[in-house]
Amino acid sequence: MKPDSSTDIPARRIFLRNVTQGVACAGAAAGAAGLLAATASRAADADAPATPAVRAPAGEAASFPTADYDWTRHRWAFAVDATKCIGCLRCVEACKRENHVALDAHHFRTWVERYAYVDGNEKPQIDSMPDKENIAAAGSETVYRFANKYRDSKVDKAFFVPKLCNHCTHPACVQVCPTGATYKTKDGFVLIDHDYCIGCQYCVQACPYGARFFNHARGVTDKCTWCYHRVTKGLQPACVEVCPVGARMFSDLNDGDSVVSRFIRENRVQVLKPETGNAPNVYYVGLDKEVS
Amino acid sequence: MPKHIARLLMLMVAFIVIAIAAKSFFTRESFYRYGHYRADSVPAIAGMATSFQTPKACINCHGPRHAEWSGSVHKTVICEVCHGAAPGHPEKLKVLIPTDTLRLCSQCHEQMPGRPTASILQVDLRKHFPDAGQCIACHNPHSPKIPAAALVADRKSAESVTASCAACHGANGVSTNDAWPNLAGQNPAYIARALGAFKTGGRASETMGPMAQTLADGDVANVAAYFSSLPCRTAGSGHAKGIAAQGRSVARQCNACHGTAGRPVNPAWPSLAGQNPAYLEAALTAFKQGQRVNVFMTPAAGALSAQDISNVAAYFAELNCSARSQ
Repeated sequence: MKPDSSTDIPARRIFLRNVTQGVACAGAAAGAAGLLAATASRAADADAPATPAVRAPAGEAASFPTADYDWTRHRWAFAVDATKCIGCLRCVEACKRENHVALDAHHFRTWVERYAYVDGNEKPQIDSMPDKENIAAAGSETVYRFANKYRDSKVDKAFFVPKLCNHCTHPACVQVCPTGATYKTKDGFVLIDHDYCIGCQYCVQACPYGARFFNHARGVTDKCTWCYHRVTKGLQPACVEVCPVGARMFSDLNDGDSVVSRFIRENRVQVLKPETGNAPNVYYVGLDKEVS
Repeated sequence: MPKHIARLLMLMVAFIVIAIAAKSFFTRESFYRYGHYRADSVPAIAGMATSFQTPKACINCHGPRHAEWSGSVHKTVICEVCHGAAPGHPEKLKVLIPTDTLRLCSQCHEQMPGRPTASILQVDLRKHFPDAGQCIACHNPHSPKIPAAALVADRKSAESVTASCAACHGANGVSTNDAWPNLAGQNPAYIARALGAFKTGGRASETMGPMAQTLADGDVANVAAYFSSLPCRTAGSGHAKGIAAQGRSVARQCNACHGTAGRPVNPAWPSLAGQNPAYLEAALTAFKQGQRVNVFMTPAAGALSAQDISNVAAYFAELNCSARSQ
């Protein structure tokens, strides 16, 4: 029997990385040899510096990235109890305001999906904020609301699933970024350096969860940061802060007694699309066969 | 080595040297410090300003309201869910006081397929008092649960309890003396809050303290529901010391909370329209002199002269108590 494909992929990635590094080293060696040969035979360009400026290893600061927060001490994770979610969308509105995301019904760092099995259909109907009926129920694209559209239908099963960036351990988006504008931090976040992002949107294509979108105003890609600017100040992400029913949880896995540590230990948790090998870090309870 | 090969090699070497030089020139200093990214972007992202402040920021000024909220079933709904993110409040930003509470409350409480009943109390908007209008007509958003006794709006049991109130506040909720407040038509949440404050001693009164202490919590809600259901009567400024016309400009600063017609949007605040002028004057004087303390009213009353207080009391006494605020 074939081994689990999800363990194959990181191995393949490591192999490819080693090969590219090998090729790069060989190239550098050839370059250096050429350089020596050139100096010996005749003068190279007089203007060009002989070697690139050596970057100091920059002795690790006592605490990085801020004076009160050391990223080597934390390993954050997010948990969602979908059985509690009431689809009130307070998280979605809070995220938009906390992170200054465009106030329309098409750009979201976090969103909530509704799955409804209606009138005996085998496939669920899935809708979210961009749905026309939901925009009409909200009355404007700056506030969000689920229309009560199945009120008079025969509903076999229905539930809400909050979604956001999974801050994967092996993020495909980071792998494809050509400029190093998106990266994985030591404390478990996948962040975007908006000064380095060239807006090519490879990462938008690479993300299997659709968590990334293009920020048309700034010409860069954008996504959930798990509110890195709040977490490093000792606060909870805005969506977790406002959730009235405790469906969203966020904490440090280095603390075995923290809320997500216990959530993972005490429940049979799932992650979305484990087969992609991205190793996502948002742990769910209450998903269903159709949710991915 | 043939000449053309040597030239080609030289060209390649020059290209490599220029490429290496350009790379070191264009790569920012902190790139590669921790990996294939600019390390400086991490503190830049971490240093961004937050919008949501959490209830810890509210407790300093809004202590009593915070206590009311944190003791209620709404304690899991932080202040900024309804009042909006409050960065820079109070210096730069006024928080939102929601007016369309039917819309706001139903965002969570509307009965909907898929909404787990174990998570939240849900009501069918077509059946749950469809004619009541706004949710705050009955519910205090900071402590929304209405005691089961009050749900019945048990007029008979309320009447037996309110018999002792009638001696001063009148059987019909209209006081026998100008110095005592009329209760007929007053906001139920405000009556309940005032009785609670008398009961705990938060508001000191030699008469009301012992009276309120005899009431059970269910009675408080019943009494509040009873008096608020009675038709109000506008006191008028006939007996007032001040001049209503001159109180009008003073009253402008009251409008934000007490409404343009003396009837506030939030039922936790008292309706002033048509109230007895002597009572209003006594209440404002008590705030001014510190016998009553409130985060909004103490500074507001402190800024008024004795003449202003008389005038504004006369002004509110004249307003029609059954008219609605715009």
